[in-house]
Amino acid sequence: MASSRPFAIRRVPGFTTIAIICFALLYMPLAPLVVYSFNAGTSIALWEGFSSRWYEAAWQNDLVQEATIRSFVIATLASLFSTILATMAALGTTRTQPFPGQTAIYAMINQPLMVPEVVTAVALLIFFAIIKTATDYYGLAYLVGAHTAFCIPFAYLPIRARLEGMDLTLETAAADLYATPWNTFRRITLPLLLPGVLAGAMLAFVISLDDVIITEFVKAAGQDTLPTYMLGQLRRQMTPEVNAISTALLAISVVLVTIVFLLSRNRAK
Amino acid sequence: MNHKLIGTFAGIAMIGTAGAATAAGELNLYNWGNYTNPELLEKFEQQHGIKVTVTGYDSNDTALAKVKAGGHGFDIVVPSSSYVPIWVNEGLLLESRPDQMENFKHMDEQWVNVDWDPGRHYTVPWQWGSVGMMVDTSVYSGDINTSAIVFDPPQELIGKINVAPEMGDVMSTAIMYVGGEPCTSDKAVLKKVRDKLMEAKSNWKSMDYGVIERFAGRDLAASLYWNGAAFRTREKNADVRYGYPKEGYPLWMDSATILKDAKNVDNAKIFLNFIMEPENAALISAFARYANGIKGSEAYMPKDMLDAPEVVIPQEFLAAGRFTPTCPPEVQKMYTAIWTELQK
Repeated sequence: MASSRPFAIRRVPGFTTIAIICFALLYMPLAPLVVYSFNAGTSIALWEGFSSRWYEAAWQNDLVQEATIRSFVIATLASLFSTILATMAALGTTRTQPFPGQTAIYAMINQPLMVPEVVTAVALLIFFAIIKTATDYYGLAYLVGAHTAFCIPFAYLPIRARLEGMDLTLETAAADLYATPWNTFRRITLPLLLPGVLAGAMLAFVISLDDVIITEFVKAAGQDTLPTYMLGQLRRQMTPEVNAISTALLAISVVLVTIVFLLSRNRAK
Repeated sequence: MNHKLIGTFAGIAMIGTAGAATAAGELNLYNWGNYTNPELLEKFEQQHGIKVTVTGYDSNDTALAKVKAGGHGFDIVVPSSSYVPIWVNEGLLLESRPDQMENFKHMDEQWVNVDWDPGRHYTVPWQWGSVGMMVDTSVYSGDINTSAIVFDPPQELIGKINVAPEMGDVMSTAIMYVGGEPCTSDKAVLKKVRDKLMEAKSNWKSMDYGVIERFAGRDLAASLYWNGAAFRTREKNADVRYGYPKEGYPLWMDSATILKDAKNVDNAKIFLNFIMEPENAALISAFARYANGIKGSEAYMPKDMLDAPEVVIPQEFLAAGRFTPTCPPEVQKMYTAIWTELQK
């Protein structure tokens, strides 16, 4: 971050070309997805005229509706819980004297990033199965819990990065003026930390919304989320309905990211 | 802060209500994704006042792993024929005796004494189909009823061939092509299979799902694939025909069955009986476009399916079709080794 000023990466020869290639590679595959969502035919690769029939089909499909609502409920709750936990974890690992075992704790918090997802999925499947049979409770809490767990590192990393970059003087000053630790946190640390928290929450939300493998293993009867519903479609017969759903999801995430961007920009002023 | 709290409580309340899922008048169906006709469920709900919740899976292994772990909450599952013996041996299924149900009289005799469930003590047919050769006859006009299409391809097809990435189906077809028995552990035969597959692979373009578009775009000219997709492809590319290899080809059948730890056993039994009604079996077929196993369902089937050679196997090719059994683990291990080498 604090690299020497005179060097500007933008002026390196070929920067624009490489940037354009990177953006094209990132976003080009999305173009046919969006285009074919408006296909009048049943094909996802042969253009047969413009129509919004697949959006109507998806809108009227009860399974899609239920799966969408379920996905959003899970993502909202999971990102909320994981952000709270991640904020606490980030405070605990940065606003403290270095203590023995700190590295081990980093590793443990970030464990979902390292362990292959399918391993976590199988472990959760077995673990939750024991609880389910013992308690006879089959609700969404298992999915919310599982999603919260693997969202924590995604929320944790931006929050910790922000905390580490933050100047300690304001917090020290607050403490000097007899602010209680809670007041310092509420009035000083949290407002300064907010962009990091927002970024963490956003990331957690998107990661939860995307998840397939763990959801597929943990879900109980009637708990298909949008991605697991779409996975089932792929194997049999794919129609542009899947494109329409994906395009709608894409639009939602673009809107979300834009809102967060505008919010954080206003705050920065 | 307050809004957040309200949101949290609302969320928790929702979780709470979603938990009470075993009341009377419910049924939890665990089926392949995009495989259950919503009209069928609507009709069932109207007739019996039982609300059906469908949850999807994408492979036999996922379904088996989930149910084996327990605490799944499902009542009915729809495994493929090759997997049914595993489900039975693991003690996961309820012996619900579909053969004693009222509508069993509609069952086609040829599906009663099947290897994987003799006498139908556990399962009711959902849909069945075959694995064969899809060929674009505008590219190759020779005999398509042979596995040579993919294993010893004619000049015209080289480089335009796809093979479904399904170990069981590809191995069975290849073994029958070199003259062996499905699930053989004969090393000499397997050596031949391995060599044939490795040699044939250089003539293939891909090993992928999703061939319909690629035949329509004339990117592919042949594929080892499932009959239902071949049928749907013909609507997009009228030159595509489906061949039944005379050396032998795999058949499969997905069957609905009740789980031992089902919570709604009575409702599940009503459902099994319900899908043996010809009109309802026809609804299943009309949706996913595969044949069912119920006599008299033809009367209610979409017209285009009745004379489709992909759906109704022509008499002369019937005998070459084989339901592939579940291979013993040690055989499975050898197949996996060949398969892994093939995928490199």
